[in-house]
Amino acid sequence: MRRILSSVRDGVGFDILLVSLTMIFLFALAGMPLVYNVMMSFQEVDMFNLGTFWRPFVGLENYQAVLSQPEFGLVMKNTAFFVFGSIAGQFSLGFLLAIFFMAKFPFASTIRGVFLVSWVMPGLVVGALWGWILAGDFGVLNAILKSLGIIDSTLFWKSDPSLSIWAVTMANIWLGLAFNMMLLSVGLAAIPRDVYEAAELDGANAFQRFTSITVPMMRATIGAVLALGLIYTLQQFDLFPAITEGGPANSSSVAQYWAWQRSFVLFDFAKGATISMMMLIFVFIASVVYVASTRHEVRE
Amino acid sequence: MKLFKLGLMAGMALSVIGVGAPALAEDVTITVWSIDGAQSVGPSDTFSKEFDEMDNGIKIDYRAMQFDEIVNETMRAFATGNAPDIVSLDNPDFALFSSRGAFLDITDMAAKSDVINADAYFEGPLNSVMWDGKLYGVGKYTDTIGIFYNKDMFAEAGIENPPKTWAEFEEYARKLVKPEDNVYGATISARGNEEGTFQFLPVIQMSGGSYKDVNTEGAREWLSMVKGMIDDGIMSRDVLSLGQWDSTGVFNSGNAAMAISGPWEIDRMVDDADFDWGVTLLPTFKEGDPRSSALGGYNLGILSTTKHPEEAFKTLEYFVSQDDRLFPEFGYLPTRGDVELTLSGIEKKDAALKIFQEQLKYAQPRGPHPEWQKISKALYDAEQAALTGQMTPDQALSQAQTTIDGIVK
Repeated sequence: MRRILSSVRDGVGFDILLVSLTMIFLFALAGMPLVYNVMMSFQEVDMFNLGTFWRPFVGLENYQAVLSQPEFGLVMKNTAFFVFGSIAGQFSLGFLLAIFFMAKFPFASTIRGVFLVSWVMPGLVVGALWGWILAGDFGVLNAILKSLGIIDSTLFWKSDPSLSIWAVTMANIWLGLAFNMMLLSVGLAAIPRDVYEAAELDGANAFQRFTSITVPMMRATIGAVLALGLIYTLQQFDLFPAITEGGPANSSSVAQYWAWQRSFVLFDFAKGATISMMMLIFVFIASVVYVASTRHEVRE
Repeated sequence: MKLFKLGLMAGMALSVIGVGAPALAEDVTITVWSIDGAQSVGPSDTFSKEFDEMDNGIKIDYRAMQFDEIVNETMRAFATGNAPDIVSLDNPDFALFSSRGAFLDITDMAAKSDVINADAYFEGPLNSVMWDGKLYGVGKYTDTIGIFYNKDMFAEAGIENPPKTWAEFEEYARKLVKPEDNVYGATISARGNEEGTFQFLPVIQMSGGSYKDVNTEGAREWLSMVKGMIDDGIMSRDVLSLGQWDSTGVFNSGNAAMAISGPWEIDRMVDDADFDWGVTLLPTFKEGDPRSSALGGYNLGILSTTKHPEEAFKTLEYFVSQDDRLFPEFGYLPTRGDVELTLSGIEKKDAALKIFQEQLKYAQPRGPHPEWQKISKALYDAEQAALTGQMTPDQALSQAQTTIDGIVK
């Protein structure tokens, strides 16, 4: 008895205790809901069995039904556009800003801090803000574009099916820009200065220094930033109800909004769970990339 | 320690009070859920409070819910056995519960009641609380839609009367538009949610269709007409994303000459609109054609899991007995025809009320169908797809028809 006690206090027992606490926590708060969601996607769910665990099993019926929805293809296309557009925009602009703020000029770090404002704001507030910016007849963006002479007719960002997905993607790029910039700044700061000095002495120009020093040495950071970007973008929900509501006619609906709409607007919980299961596959791939790229970082 | 003792004493004191007042123990508590009181004071919270304060052995536990949450919360509560005794739902959501027997069948109780008389209700609201010939609730209040028009702009353009047909509606809108002053000819709500369906379904109905049969000639014609108006700048393209409240805001600020909307706008319009305005019935396709309009508003029902059906029914009776206060106090229209309406004395408001009361005779419920929200999505998706030109009206409506056929079976 005493031996067990002392092992818990200082030894293998303590390690096991720590790990098991984490595991219990993970299982209760992440594992159970996940299992519940998987179950739901194979079951028939209605308001009478909403509170139970064992419901009529329907096999792959929910999956077939989701695939045969007329909007399925459009939603998938929009999701791909939103995810890749957002990541490309956030990453490239974030990288440019990170490099810009590496330059030594007065108040560089203060101004960089101010950029974080977009990241600390709640998604719904950002959504409402962009809702006003992108409004058609009385929107801020249209007023600016008109006064600059770039457009002469009003652009209906929220109501034109060819613009609506751009509208939410733009808002999301703005929202995630600061996060990308911060992570990339940290990666940049970790590259030793003397490598650049040596390269400069050898006659490498700025572009060569960027492609043969910065990018290779940032590989782990870039992998992590892109993987996290994919996860955050697939989680991004608040902007959709606030800006376009997935419309017009699903032209800006993405998988995560569609799953929510199925469950909580159309009260079709099984299909909502099914769509989120399909998304899980993508998030899983991103997680593998993220774990792999951060592990590489530790080994170095 | 001191705190603990204090708590103990307080507990004892409380239990003594409990013993001293045995009447309290016999009180029955009825739980009522509604969205009234969440944003502004409404009938359900007001009447609940009054009934609670009466000395009749019934206590009311009232909870104000958010509009977006009430159906989900009620469903979850029902599934876990914690449902309220009475809930107030938007009328198209009512059949989700009544069709599955989640609401209590009150047909017999109502037949015996001196207060609730099913025959007194307008046909539309009554249909929305009926399922399979049985009565599952009562209408709380109702609304519908018509056309608000700017009389000053009409006079200026030399148009004497408001539009009677959709053709006139388009003709007048094209005359009234003034792009240089940011004035649109008309505004509607074709938003991608229930509001879009609310304004579009009447068009299908008045052209001989129903929610089960949506691809009518009239509906196709109407979609082409509205699309043309949007493309030509007679209506803002933003009618696709504006809700009714915001769309009518455009009218109130003098940026649109006509607006399709409902009586909930009247009070704000009296305050905001600094021009002469009036209301007219929703147009028809040809003069003398059958009319139709949307039926809005909330219903009240007793959930079948209640432990005190009689007390819950008494509560319902009290709510219904106060129907004559709906219009003067809250600006809502009662769901029955035997309530004498007290006029407000505001000329425009009372004139609008008369039109909306007439319009209510033609109002038809959405559904009732337990999967209404899915049918509704098929409808507003079709409307938006046609108005944005992603599909022709015929393609959009036949796709909606296929989806609806899969739901209605």
